[in-house]
Amino acid sequence: MSPCPLPFQQTVRPIKHKGGDAFMTKQWKLKEIVLMSILGVVFGVIYLLFFLVGEGIRNILAPFGLAPFGYEVIYGIWFIVSIMAAYILRKPGVAFTAEVIAGVVEILLGSAAGPGLLLSAAIQGAGAEFAFALTGWKDYRLRVLVLSGISTAVVSFAWHLYSAGMIALAPWLIVSTLIVRIISAALISGVLGKWLSDQLAKTGVLRGYALGKELQRKRNYESA
Amino acid sequence: MILSINPSIKAFAVLVPGVLLGLTYDVFTPLLYFIFILAVTFTMTDIPILRWMKFFTPFLILALSFAWMTVLYANQTFSNGEVVFTLWNLEITTGSIQTGISLALRSLCFGALSLMFILTTDSTKLMLSFMQQCKLPPKITYGILAGYRFLPVFRHELEVLRQAHRIRGVSRARGIKGRVNQFRRYAIPLLANGIRKAERVSVAMESKGFTGDTDRTHYHKMTVGKRDWLFLGMMIGFLIAVFALSYYLGYLRIFGRKF
Repeated sequence: MSPCPLPFQQTVRPIKHKGGDAFMTKQWKLKEIVLMSILGVVFGVIYLLFFLVGEGIRNILAPFGLAPFGYEVIYGIWFIVSIMAAYILRKPGVAFTAEVIAGVVEILLGSAAGPGLLLSAAIQGAGAEFAFALTGWKDYRLRVLVLSGISTAVVSFAWHLYSAGMIALAPWLIVSTLIVRIISAALISGVLGKWLSDQLAKTGVLRGYALGKELQRKRNYESA
Repeated sequence: MILSINPSIKAFAVLVPGVLLGLTYDVFTPLLYFIFILAVTFTMTDIPILRWMKFFTPFLILALSFAWMTVLYANQTFSNGEVVFTLWNLEITTGSIQTGISLALRSLCFGALSLMFILTTDSTKLMLSFMQQCKLPPKITYGILAGYRFLPVFRHELEVLRQAHRIRGVSRARGIKGRVNQFRRYAIPLLANGIRKAERVSVAMESKGFTGDTDRTHYHKMTVGKRDWLFLGMMIGFLIAVFALSYYLGYLRIFGRKF
């Protein structure tokens, strides 16, 4: 990529493949994997807080048969882990793996949704990874994060059409559910995810990770 | 008995029927399978029924609310049949009621299946089994376990944060802006501490010789025996039998098409 004013874009180091490790774990550090796991734990807890909001909306909408919208509004929280992890670590496969790890952590924490979470996490992770793959894992600007949120929403929605039987609903309802989910994903996982990661980078705890190094470089660049 | 089934096999035994049930849109098939799951749950495990009910109630509410939505707003493919009654200018037909009940039963099946899994599976054993049977890399396995172990610490930290705010006189949030600020005041320190811990624990693990090498020995060996395969066969086999029976009786509907 040509030199650009924002030093944000030119920093992804080429990945060195040491042997054919199926999960690309060879170039991932242990601390990066633990980070993904901890993001899964923290957002598992935060989701529960949001869940109360969702239940409130659900109860208002319930008599009109629109109760599931209450959960659609907070759907973006599910995707935030993969987008934050990809934004912080900036490596191929991170978005997918982080979402699957978050799903596993939810199961370990005893989430009642059980092993089904593994499957939906893998599908969501693939949706999130898709947007980053389009840019060749080089571009982590807000628009790509939002795009990633949107692609996750669309892919996970396609899965729900099948698994929850939403395909039996009236077309206007299917479309409006999809739109609510896309907005929720774009705002909560894209915008809020980036904002949270940037705030975290400012605290200095991310110095050992790609985003923190990026911020450091930017500061040097500005002070120079 | 289900307690001792290999966790990976158990996960498959729960996942496969869950996915296949997504095909059905009649009442008979999921109902029969739901009864089967209940029978398995209460004969092969010793989960107290009250504890089970406590976990199952949210599924029931969710299933009912989704069923109500389907009954009101089913599309043309699924809302054939006679009009039973009208509500707010919406015609409720036998077809849409049937689809609604079917979808509710399906999600009850999902719920009962995952409760059967969750209430009989030990977290650590599940991860060890993923590593030994599904070839999940040790780096990921132990990375996940290390992060997951911090949950009680987070609870404690949340409490400390709350007390720290209170002692400094930070009042409860009012309005949307206040809420956003409050979210930031809690989320950022919680995440920052979490990341610090991730770094420390991984350095500790590596300094004690954890390399993430797949060629390693295991203290707890997870094995797959005949009983595990039998369980998997039973869960999937019964589903196939239910499909066959409902086809034979003429109830089976897949995506609104009758066979």
